Amino acid sequence: MTGSKILAALLVATLATVRAAAADAPNWTIDLAKSKLGFSGTQTGDPFTGSFTRYNAAIAFDPAHLETSHIKVAVDLSSAATGDEQRDTALPGDDWFDIAHFPQATFASNTIRKKPDGTYEAAGTLTLRGAAHPLTLPFALDVNGASAHAKGHATLIRTAFGVGQGQWTTGDYVALEVGIDIDIVATRAK
Amino acid sequence: MTAAQSGSRYTAVAIFLHWIMALGIIALAVIGLTMTHVKLKPHDLFKLYQLHKSIGITILLAAFLRLAWRLVHRPPSLPAAMPPLERKAAGASHLLLYGFLFVLPMTGWAVVSAAPLNIPTVLYGLVPWPHLPILSTLHNKAPVDHVLARTHDYLAFALIALVTLHAAAALRHHLWLRDDVLTRMLPHGRRHQSETANQ
Repeated sequence: MTGSKILAALLVATLATVRAAAADAPNWTIDLAKSKLGFSGTQTGDPFTGSFTRYNAAIAFDPAHLETSHIKVAVDLSSAATGDEQRDTALPGDDWFDIAHFPQATFASNTIRKKPDGTYEAAGTLTLRGAAHPLTLPFALDVNGASAHAKGHATLIRTAFGVGQGQWTTGDYVALEVGIDIDIVATRAK
Repeated sequence: MTAAQSGSRYTAVAIFLHWIMALGIIALAVIGLTMTHVKLKPHDLFKLYQLHKSIGITILLAAFLRLAWRLVHRPPSLPAAMPPLERKAAGASHLLLYGFLFVLPMTGWAVVSAAPLNIPTVLYGLVPWPHLPILSTLHNKAPVDHVLARTHDYLAFALIALVTLHAAAALRHHLWLRDDVLTRMLPHGRRHQSETANQ
C-alpha cells in the first residue's frame, strides 16, 4: 500500500515536471458555421435528431503532446433545436433541461489518448442539469495544416443527469439512451 | 302537411358552424374514447392526444364565433304548432349545448395544463398554444389533474347523451312531425327539397 502510494507520488511529480517542460498545446478555435454539436434520441419509437446552436469551447490540443491537451466545452442548453415545435418547447422546461436553474452543460476532459487504430478519445466529466458524471468521447481527427476536423459519437443515459423527471424517468415515451454527435471544424491559433 | 314556419332558414354561416362543429364533436368523442379505452402503441396514442387537443381548441374558438353570430342573428322561430313544454325543452337543450361548447374544451385545456407530463400543445403541429395559468405552475399537479380529467370525462359522456337527444329530436321533427326544423339547418342543397315538401 505504502509502496504504491510512493509510486503514485513519484508519478504525479514526474507528470508535473513533464507538463512544465512541454510547450503548451496550441489553442484551437471552432468554426461554428462549419461545425455541428448534435444529439439524438427516440420519442415514442421514432428517432429524432437535434443540435445546439450556441456553445463555445476552449481547445488546447497537440497530437504530439496529448498530456498537455485539454478540451472544455460549454453548451447553452436553451439553443437546443430538433425541428419540432412541441419538443423544442418542452426541452427547456423543468422536467428536461430546466434551463432556469441549469442554463449550461459543460464537458471538460481529464485525459486525451490516442487509440491503436489512430483515433482518439477524450475522457472527462459531463456536467448537465446539476449532475456530473464521467463521459468518454471517442473521435476521429483529421488535421490538415492549421485546420482540423473532429468527428465523434458518444451515448449517455439521460436519467443519470435527471433529464426527464416524473413520469419521464421511464423510457416508455422517450428512450433513456441519448446520442451525442460532434462534427467540429477548428483552426489552430497562430 | 302540418303548419311549419317555412321559408325561414338558418344563415349560411350558422349552418356552416353547426355542421363543422358537429363533425368535430363526433371526431373528439371517437378519438377520446379510443385513446382512453383502446390499447395503442405509444406513438399512436401520443398522436391521437395531440389531434384531440387540436380539434378541441378549434371547437372552443369556433364556439366564440358561433355565440357572437347567434347574438346578432335571430334563428328562425320554432314551428307554431310546437307545444310550450317542447319549446322550453328545445330552448333549454340548446342553451346547454352552447354551454358545453365552451365548458368541455375548457376542462380539456385545464387537464392538459395541469398534466404532470407537461406536454406543450402545438395545434395541428403548427400553432403553439399556451397552458392555462395557475394550473400549469401547481406544485402538486397529480391530484388536481385527476379531478379535472374525471370532470372532463363525465361531461363528455353528458355531451354525447345531449347530442344524441338533439339529433333524435331533429329526426323526430323531420320524420314524425314533418316540419322544417331539421331541413332549415341542412346545407344549401336541401333547400329546394324542403320548400317543395312544405307546399
